[in-house]
Amino acid sequence: MSTRRAFLKQSALATSGTLLIPGFLKGFDGPELIAGNTKLVVIQLSGGNDGLNTIIPYRNDVYYQLRPKLAIPSGNILKASDELGFHPALAKLNDLYDKGYLGVINNVGYPNPDRSHFRSMDIWHTAANSDQYLQTGWLGRYLDAQCSDCNTAHQALEIDDVLGLVLKGAQQKGMAMRDPKKLHDTLKGNLYRALSKPAADHADERSVSYLYKTLAETVSSADYIYDKTTISKSSITYPKTEFAHRLKTVAQLINSGIDTRVYYASLSGFDTHANQNNRHERLLTTYSEAVHAFVSDLEAENSFSDVMIMTFSEFGRRVKQNASEGTDHGTANNLFIMGKTLKQKGFINETPDLTKLDEGDLIHTVDFRSVYATLLEQWLGTDSSIVLGQKFAKLGFV
Amino acid sequence: MKNETHLYNRFGFGVSVSNEKIKSANDFINSSRQDQPLQVVAAPSITKEEIKTMTSQEKRMVSQKSRKQISNLNVSWLEQMTNTETALREKMTFFWHDHFACRTQQAFLGQQQNNSIRKYALGSFRDLLLAVSKDAAMLQFLNNKQNRKNSPNENFAREVMELFTLGRGNFTEEDIKNAARAFTGWNFNPISGEFVFRDWTHDTGVKTFRGKNGNFSGEDILDIILEDRAAAGFIVNKMWSYFVSQETVDKKITDQLTNDFYKSDYNIGKLVDQMITASWFYEDRFHGNRIKSPIELLVSIQLHTGGKFDDEASPLFIQNALNQVLFYPPNVGGWPQGNEWIDSSSLTFRMALPGVLLQHERTEILAKDDGDVNNLINRPRKSKINFSVNWSPLVNRFLKSNQEESLNEIEHFLLAIPTSKGNRELINRFASFGKTDEELIQRAFTGYMSLPEYQLN
Repeated sequence: MSTRRAFLKQSALATSGTLLIPGFLKGFDGPELIAGNTKLVVIQLSGGNDGLNTIIPYRNDVYYQLRPKLAIPSGNILKASDELGFHPALAKLNDLYDKGYLGVINNVGYPNPDRSHFRSMDIWHTAANSDQYLQTGWLGRYLDAQCSDCNTAHQALEIDDVLGLVLKGAQQKGMAMRDPKKLHDTLKGNLYRALSKPAADHADERSVSYLYKTLAETVSSADYIYDKTTISKSSITYPKTEFAHRLKTVAQLINSGIDTRVYYASLSGFDTHANQNNRHERLLTTYSEAVHAFVSDLEAENSFSDVMIMTFSEFGRRVKQNASEGTDHGTANNLFIMGKTLKQKGFINETPDLTKLDEGDLIHTVDFRSVYATLLEQWLGTDSSIVLGQKFAKLGFV
Repeated sequence: MKNETHLYNRFGFGVSVSNEKIKSANDFINSSRQDQPLQVVAAPSITKEEIKTMTSQEKRMVSQKSRKQISNLNVSWLEQMTNTETALREKMTFFWHDHFACRTQQAFLGQQQNNSIRKYALGSFRDLLLAVSKDAAMLQFLNNKQNRKNSPNENFAREVMELFTLGRGNFTEEDIKNAARAFTGWNFNPISGEFVFRDWTHDTGVKTFRGKNGNFSGEDILDIILEDRAAAGFIVNKMWSYFVSQETVDKKITDQLTNDFYKSDYNIGKLVDQMITASWFYEDRFHGNRIKSPIELLVSIQLHTGGKFDDEASPLFIQNALNQVLFYPPNVGGWPQGNEWIDSSSLTFRMALPGVLLQHERTEILAKDDGDVNNLINRPRKSKINFSVNWSPLVNRFLKSNQEESLNEIEHFLLAIPTSKGNRELINRFASFGKTDEELIQRAFTGYMSLPEYQLN
């Protein structure tokens, strides 16, 4: 505890309850960090990735019958098990699978699935039941549970310009940032700097002090990240896509030893209602090449063992193709886990059952909140029932 | 003056720079008695048969057109919000648009819903509730089309009680099951948006609802809900939190308001009148202690400067970047409120926005793409925002004999609570770089609007 902070705490105690500290001086009360060194990276595939054309049940006749134009010919599939194989665009992901770094969980979803993008994503972000509306995200509530007194904004970072609901808790919020230098440059302006210094004439406990506190934390986190980020020496070449650039930023931050526990990045465009095949192939290439470079970069700097990566989409797509050579919104889907030392790897559970569908959609067998609970308890070391509001069975991959 | 500004901030979108004279509370209400419906989208002329024979390509064209129309609707309403004559009606429509949060792909249905909300926004909550419950966009949004005898869908019945009238904890699962049965058969014509009762899908059996037995219709269910004083309390508390204070509840006052609202048979106009003519509404502790929603921020900037957007894409981009797009609430629970709007990146963008709008600074921000290929608002990149302000009336009004006096006037006009001495000095220095009178005023406006205090009303 720094001397100044200790002094402030003592003087606050000494005056027994009367608030002598102006509201946002608390913002300079020194960061209290979440203990531990494990990091979670969440990758969101927005739009509803077609899981069946990603991890393909290449021996299943129903797959070929229901998708006469969309099914990937068996000969092109990168076969990984007796039943399942990777889309040909996923050679790099296949490589991670071969190394034992990838775990695929099939049939992940939730009861009474919602087929609307925004609602289903809302459910994944808030970890709500499908008839429940929450104003906080599961990773935001993780910050609340672990770090309700923290005064830094960068405990959880979204590589984006806009912060998603998933990283917003009731007391704590993560921070959105596309690039450390850009953020630093934006906040270099006189206005932000000058305003982020405490001034005593703002009343405590009012909205105005919340604003100034947020500003102070933003500026100090931006400085911290900018100062601490070292330019990567690694020789890994990333593909020239925006998504790969975002993962490169995450790797750079992790390799620089930034004390951020959660990273969040998205890749959009998976809403393939029409002429799916070319587009889906491009997206899968973008995804797998970027993730492969990311993992290699972490490995080269010996930091991969501290990192767990989860990839999800808000829903899968209907088993049967539609009339426009695309697929419509579905329900259950596969989800990827990546890590150096997974306790379960490869295809972790049963293959999707294409003969037992609910109105043409896959039936979920794993609640996505079981995945969250596993990550929260086993990887981030927090009580998942506090964060999720109920107890979910844990899985065995960590 | 301070009190009138508070009234305009909370029950309108702020004071306009062109307001010659600020209205009294009574005039403020009276001028909003008129109701100006949105008339942007014409009723579709297509028939059911024509839809049946359309190719998928043609269908896609139709929905594309409809999404374009939703954008037109969005921007037209945003513009109408700057009409200070009917400020109260616009604000109440906005409040109910959030309360009865709903999304639709069909622009005409979105317009129809907005117009019925607008019609009853200051009328009887009983009429408003019935109108929204029979509204095509809402019935579609909450799956009442799928709610049929023998295969009920409870979504609509649940949200009517949980989010629209009673709130969590004031009803049981049995209530939902039985109410859902009563709403079976409530349907709509998908083209004209007219309410249609399909009696052959309606469950005519006896329902048990909140301790009563009978062959209840959907209308009966709504009436039985409103018999419960808890519904009046739910609306009053929501209005208190929205218009008065999110963190402080004065139970003595809200109990009184609830009583009176219930006794008036849910007369919203009377409730609003009671609130804005009460002295507690103007107490200092409530001034400038509420964070503007993105729409409120956007409209207040337009009102304060008299500026206008020169294209549709610019206001849509800002709404998207700040996470509040009219006609696109995040879910049926509506938008967040207060501090929930603010995080490091939203605050940074809000503070940069006046520079972008008034000084034509470029923005590199990328708005989020929700992945929905059908969402027209997903046009993430836009660096040049087209917004124009005619500065000469502002110079006339705010240029005083010395700079300090000018800045003082501008601060009073723009901020609901005063800022610090340090910030004033900062803005003074910033304004001094202005080479002309106009540049001085422009810089002062940009400075004050970039302050955290400007986020408050």
